[in-house]
Amino acid sequence: MSASLDNTKSYLEVNPGWRNWVVTLDHKRIGMMYLCGILAALMLGGFFALLVRTELFSPGAQIVHQDWYNKFFTLHGAVMVFLVIIPGIPAALGNMVLPIQLGAPDVAFPRLNLASFYLWCGGATLLLLSVALGGIDTGWTFYTPYSIETQTAVLPAVSGAFLLGFSSIFTGLNFLVTIHKFRPASMGWFQMPLNLWALYATALMQVLATPVLGITLLLLFVERFMQIGIFDPTLGGDPVLFQHFFWFYSHPAVYIMIVPAMGVVSEILTTFSRKPIFGYRFIAYSSIALALFSFLVWGHHLFVSGQSRLANMVFSALTFSVGIPAAIKVFNWTATLYKGDIRLETPMLYVLSFLILFTIGGLTGIFLAVLSIDVHLHDTYFVVAHFHYVMMGSTLVAFLGGLHYWWPKLSGRMYPETIGKVCAWGVFIGFNLTFLPQFVMGSRGMPRRYWDYDPEYTLYHRLSTIGAFILGMSMFTVVCYLAWSLKRGKKATQNPWGGSTLEWVAPTPPTVFNFPEPPPEVELYEYDDLHEVENANQDGVTNWERRPAANKPARSSHH
Amino acid sequence: MSSTEHDKAGDGHHDHGDDGGGHGGHGHGSPWIQHHYDDAQHQFDSGKLGIWFFLVQEILFFAGLFVAYIVYRHHHPEIFAYASHYLDVKWGAINTGVLIVSSLSAAWAVRCAQLAQRRGLIACLVITIVCAFGFLGIKFIEYSHKIHEGILFGGRFDPCVASGGDHLLNKANRCPGVTSSVVWDVKAKKATKGCLDAETGYDWDAGAKGIQGKCQVAEVKMGGRGASRAEVGRRTIEACAAPSAGDGHAEMAGHDTPAHNTPCWSLVVNPHVCPKGPAAMVHYGDHTKRTDIEIEATCEAAPAPVAPADAFAGTVDRPGRGDANFKAPQVQSKHDAIHEWSNGPPPEHTNMFFSIYFAMTGLHGLHVLFGIFVFIWLLVRAIKGHFTPDYFGPIDYAALYWHLVDLIWIFLFPLLYLIH
Repeated sequence: MSASLDNTKSYLEVNPGWRNWVVTLDHKRIGMMYLCGILAALMLGGFFALLVRTELFSPGAQIVHQDWYNKFFTLHGAVMVFLVIIPGIPAALGNMVLPIQLGAPDVAFPRLNLASFYLWCGGATLLLLSVALGGIDTGWTFYTPYSIETQTAVLPAVSGAFLLGFSSIFTGLNFLVTIHKFRPASMGWFQMPLNLWALYATALMQVLATPVLGITLLLLFVERFMQIGIFDPTLGGDPVLFQHFFWFYSHPAVYIMIVPAMGVVSEILTTFSRKPIFGYRFIAYSSIALALFSFLVWGHHLFVSGQSRLANMVFSALTFSVGIPAAIKVFNWTATLYKGDIRLETPMLYVLSFLILFTIGGLTGIFLAVLSIDVHLHDTYFVVAHFHYVMMGSTLVAFLGGLHYWWPKLSGRMYPETIGKVCAWGVFIGFNLTFLPQFVMGSRGMPRRYWDYDPEYTLYHRLSTIGAFILGMSMFTVVCYLAWSLKRGKKATQNPWGGSTLEWVAPTPPTVFNFPEPPPEVELYEYDDLHEVENANQDGVTNWERRPAANKPARSSHH
Repeated sequence: MSSTEHDKAGDGHHDHGDDGGGHGGHGHGSPWIQHHYDDAQHQFDSGKLGIWFFLVQEILFFAGLFVAYIVYRHHHPEIFAYASHYLDVKWGAINTGVLIVSSLSAAWAVRCAQLAQRRGLIACLVITIVCAFGFLGIKFIEYSHKIHEGILFGGRFDPCVASGGDHLLNKANRCPGVTSSVVWDVKAKKATKGCLDAETGYDWDAGAKGIQGKCQVAEVKMGGRGASRAEVGRRTIEACAAPSAGDGHAEMAGHDTPAHNTPCWSLVVNPHVCPKGPAAMVHYGDHTKRTDIEIEATCEAAPAPVAPADAFAGTVDRPGRGDANFKAPQVQSKHDAIHEWSNGPPPEHTNMFFSIYFAMTGLHGLHVLFGIFVFIWLLVRAIKGHFTPDYFGPIDYAALYWHLVDLIWIFLFPLLYLIH
């Protein structure tokens, strides 16, 4: 990185051209490149989802037979989990926002940050290679012993996921050190925006859980490559050990997806309610609590895998307790909304969707934690609906919310607000139409991952397929209008939403090192001294400005 | 987090953009201080925290294998008691020493860098690299021995067929080169692999107590290509199979005429180890590579009370998929049982010990290899004089990494080599 870059110009203007982008060490550019990759992967994963839903429109063969169907849902899951949702908020949005929210010029290790991105590219390439080599049909979980035996392209997919894991670890490591070492003197732990608490908790999980996935996939790789036998029952290995290892990572992975989403929601919710966040410390601590709990509940994926009764009971009880920090957050968000001056811009629509969808997703998780009920619901569409409410309905919706929230800051352009709102409604309606029927058919016994079904489920599957297409079209439109707005959108102001955190003090778009001058202290989640100035620039975009310092009330010492 | 770091972070790091003149313009003592840090200390502290998080990540990476070790050792103690005899404590101990020395030199390298002792730094880095190569060299010796003996991991574990495979059996039923076993085809009554005398057609009987049999084993030393054979010893199989003293070959030494250690034969009845039928196994206690030895065995079965086909019906029946909970029947005390396991034929799924052995030591070896690349890179930079008391972070971080690699070996050595 050269220090001779001009820090008075926007990061988009200095050193343009793709040759400079691909070797950039600027966290914002790396975040933008992540964003492009993740949105492309999102469309690919969505394409596979629509193929699956199309096949399920009626019983029997519609477009493909069983073998291809198995590959479609595997690729949908693997692409969405490993390429989209896990890196989505931390690597794309977090990368762009985290240093600015700290008032720092960059992350602690910019070269490692770029390396993470290229590991992501390598992992994505290998996953796509497995598609080119005929796909993979194990499900995204790669369960042994089937993943040892199947003739499909397991090796490239597994090595791709391995690389993606290390991409995630290095991002997490970078964020941990950045938050520890780059906070300005005025920012103690409890003066950090809640987004940073969430990213910190996420990074802890990324660093502590992902290596276990790494070793598991490495053993699976060696298993297929040269029969090491650790997971192969015919050689004396234990396939259930694979499940334990896999979920020791993949349960925290679910929290790696949802916790940063909660950070994004905390930011947007307080901004668009024009009210200080309610229960700052509770929300902050509950992020850490979720990170800790995430390591203690993996056994609830093995309730019917021959786990001992004692272990089942312990894991069931621990799984219930996850409801506590999750509910703390939801109640605090609701309390923040109470008597707020709520503004229903697009980011806020996504966040309100999140509140509803996450509550449904979280509560159905409690159903599944009940041992006797789980035996009935295990491997049915009820589970599919539950985790889509959390992973898609919550994480991806919050990702879209955050994307719209920070898009003006990072691209320097406004997205079209009206069509944005329409698409937000489309996502919400399409999502519920897709997955609410799945709860019903799951509880009536429709197993997941089946290519065919009894005619009694036809109505639910049809509703679900129609919903999936509404959802897919809405999200595709979002990607299109965001791309359009890069050139044609209205010029954004410094603070179009009236946010109180440091990124809204930075220029729009930020300069190369984010702030041309040392950033001032901001009053976190204080909105009283921000006032709206309409038609603040030539494109008629609103800006929120701080009142002169003399009028400021005394700074509150805590939040 | 000390408050001083906060203070530094607060005022310094936003004045870089207009710096224009490249690095070192604002109090950076070394040209290697990156511009987004406040100063050398800020960069060093960040790097140090980063490497600690990385090491935590490494520990969890290895943790999967340690958990696998605990699970399998808990389920199959007999496998671990038996199979650890295949490992050579001597080489393991030497490697432990080698790594400890290299850790010391790595730590000393940090001190040299802090004190600006460039020659000392280079010397310490060289010692570390040499030790790391030494470690891998010894590992190579151990691995090649195991590859040689067919004691590998998982599906590759086949102590019945030593290297050489099918070529072991010649017309005279002699085994040129290194051999460790014979595979006996019960129905055909002849050896299919190895060097048992097929022509004489001895019967084997696997009763409840295993095969009763008597073999006369001759190890024939070749004086060189085409040289005449000189018989060096004859001994009986019972002497070795008896689990009374050590692993058998110690007492054999009494019968032994030549100076070198002689092979010790034992019967292999476990169809999971020798899928094609019972076999005799030879253990070379000295782990020496033999290239010019032939083995000749004449086996004599005890009187057969039952027809051979029936006798083996029970043992040929392999458990189905998923039946991984095989446990040897425990009729004796646990101590006696373990003693017998460790001296008798391999228990079922002995391969799992070697799966774990190769996974753990292999992953550790890869880390050593990575460490070598890092230290060579540091050596080049040290020779170029990049490191100063202001800037020695990379040495410190590499040394910390190296200590962790060392520490993991300190755990691996007793867990794998010193089981009793």
